[in-house]
Amino acid sequence: MSGRRETLKILGAIGATCATPYSSNELYGQHAGHDGAPLVQIQMPAGPKTLTAAEYALLSRMADLIIPATDTPGAVAAGVPRYMDYVAAVNAGMRQLLAKGCQWLDAQCGKAHGKRFVELDEAAQVALLEPLCARADRLAVLGQGAMEERFFKAVKSLTADGYFTSKTGLVDTLRYTGNTVMGEYPSCEG
Amino acid sequence: MADTIFDVVVVGSGASGGTLAAHLAGMGVNVAVLEGGPPINTRTDFNTHAMPFQFPNRHIPTMKPGKQGFQSERARGVGGKSLTWNAVAWRLSERDFQGRAHDGAGENWPLHYADMAPWYEKIEREVGVCGNLDGLADLPDGIFQPPVPMKCTDLAVKRGAAKLGVKVIHVRKATLSRARGGRPACHFCGNCMAGCDVVAKYNSADVHLRPALKTGKLAIFHNSIARAVNVSNENRVTGVTYLNRETKAESVVRGRVVVVSCACVQSVALLLMSKSRLYPDGLGNSSGHLGKHFIPHFTGGVQCFLKEFIGKGGVNDEGFLDHAYVPSFMHARQRDYARSFGVQFNYQNHRAVGWARNLPGMGKAFKESVRERYPAFLTFSPYGEMLPNEKSYVDLDWTKLDDHGLPMARRHLHWGENDWKIFRDMTAWSVRILEASGVEILNVNQQPAANHELGGARMGADAKTSVVNQWCQSHDVKNLFVVDGSVFPSASEKNPTHTMMALAARTASYIAEGLRKKELA
Repeated sequence: MSGRRETLKILGAIGATCATPYSSNELYGQHAGHDGAPLVQIQMPAGPKTLTAAEYALLSRMADLIIPATDTPGAVAAGVPRYMDYVAAVNAGMRQLLAKGCQWLDAQCGKAHGKRFVELDEAAQVALLEPLCARADRLAVLGQGAMEERFFKAVKSLTADGYFTSKTGLVDTLRYTGNTVMGEYPSCEG
Repeated sequence: MADTIFDVVVVGSGASGGTLAAHLAGMGVNVAVLEGGPPINTRTDFNTHAMPFQFPNRHIPTMKPGKQGFQSERARGVGGKSLTWNAVAWRLSERDFQGRAHDGAGENWPLHYADMAPWYEKIEREVGVCGNLDGLADLPDGIFQPPVPMKCTDLAVKRGAAKLGVKVIHVRKATLSRARGGRPACHFCGNCMAGCDVVAKYNSADVHLRPALKTGKLAIFHNSIARAVNVSNENRVTGVTYLNRETKAESVVRGRVVVVSCACVQSVALLLMSKSRLYPDGLGNSSGHLGKHFIPHFTGGVQCFLKEFIGKGGVNDEGFLDHAYVPSFMHARQRDYARSFGVQFNYQNHRAVGWARNLPGMGKAFKESVRERYPAFLTFSPYGEMLPNEKSYVDLDWTKLDDHGLPMARRHLHWGENDWKIFRDMTAWSVRILEASGVEILNVNQQPAANHELGGARMGADAKTSVVNQWCQSHDVKNLFVVDGSVFPSASEKNPTHTMMALAARTASYIAEGLRKKELA
């Protein structure tokens, strides 16, 4: 190490962190990230910080209808509503669309059933959402179509993104098995 | 230190600057490298092994918390963009260097494949490139480590393409498939573009600069943002004025030779910023061609699901991203445009599932539909060669200054008629190949997107229509050099970095010789 210091010239260095700590034996050794420590899902705050309690409840219900529990947990158990609340906090346009959409959906339920969306039974909820889903699926990109179509597309996108990047979605449901250390790449050719 | 005069000052520490500086130091030349960002510890600074659910926004940041020096747009950090490249390493062919001679379009390089072949070989021996010997006329073979096996999904595309007489070959990458030189072989963790924490993948900081520090001939100026290359009234560059990234204090580093290697558009910007009495329109710009002939690649693409893999369950096949490639096959076919395209595919990282939201339906069926298609997802991304046109150029926006008061580079891009013809044909061929391979198509990109920035300070034999000569030496100022993608007079359809590194090695040899003979300084 002392020999290295003699020959190594670092100019414009600010503080000790700039004294490049390279040396071959430490560079290519094993280290954090290959140690097999489990990668765990980040702890998000419980309950909404940005969405209202009513919006949070409605969106949670929608998320679980879009990705329900089957042999693996559904969207709510995977933390999707908390992810939605996070996105609403950092994206004002999304926050507004979610608020408007929740209002619209409850108004529809009021007209048809005299109830709020979360008070309907599952069959009634699905009957409301499935035609809306079909309309939203035809939208080429986020930002087009009627408000309620954009709303559903946004909720479905948030649900899919949030779920399939969660530990439940990515590892337990899709069975992601990558991010490991392989001695050699397995051949597919017989 | 202010009194030191270095033999060579290199601005930029990426694949071009890093290779050049290391080669010079190895030949006993005193080199200073100016790097706009901090040192990067590739072993610990990147989030190579992270998962999306560890972050509130579900996006894996490239760097660990507190490591703010590195962004891909202006990659400030020792190693530059070589830290986050995908390492695809092709040799260009004689047809690529002399394209105009074949089809009358674009520009020829002022050199031939035979001039470059020894330097490609030198780089391959130095950094390690894995690949197969394919014997293709337009994609010369090199000195390769064994190729990495193709993915099962690659082989499905290979079978489909074969029905149309189109070849699929092993990708060639500057990533080790066998351990060598103190670097381990790739371990296939699948996140190559977020740094490689074991340096199986080449980066200039670890493979070129770190060993070069041991020569005692190399000094790295960290956090030093070049503001101007200085030129004397005797028409010689004398050094570089730079700003400290944190304190913004201004200093000068002096050199007998200056090399600008700060990544294509940024190199052009630095030269345009370097105004003087001799060069009021930018240093080395007596031709008026600096900034012109901006020719990035354009890409399109198809997202699809291979039917034979739908419902096949999870497999660990991220590998080192793309393992296969469709080399240009149009040269032997009738077509109504000049130049060609090649196709990279299967380079998605399975940690992101952004396509799921675009599948139809909701409920249990939707969830199952995503799960079944997850192992079958494939992106197919053809890259086409752009021809230079007058509406595509780089200039400076003096109304938009960055944190250091320097003007932002502005990219003007216009796709010409030939570009659109290639784009439409490469999109049609992509769909044809995929349909022959048996796919459900999810999306076909309808607009070209720029990638691999090239051109802006092109090389040529004629000083009136180019910025540098075949040695990357300014036509105007003999001790000024530009070495990176900006000097490409034509792009080819192939990923460019290997050629930049070979050019850097070739130019380093020319500079060392010039210094020895006292022709440069």
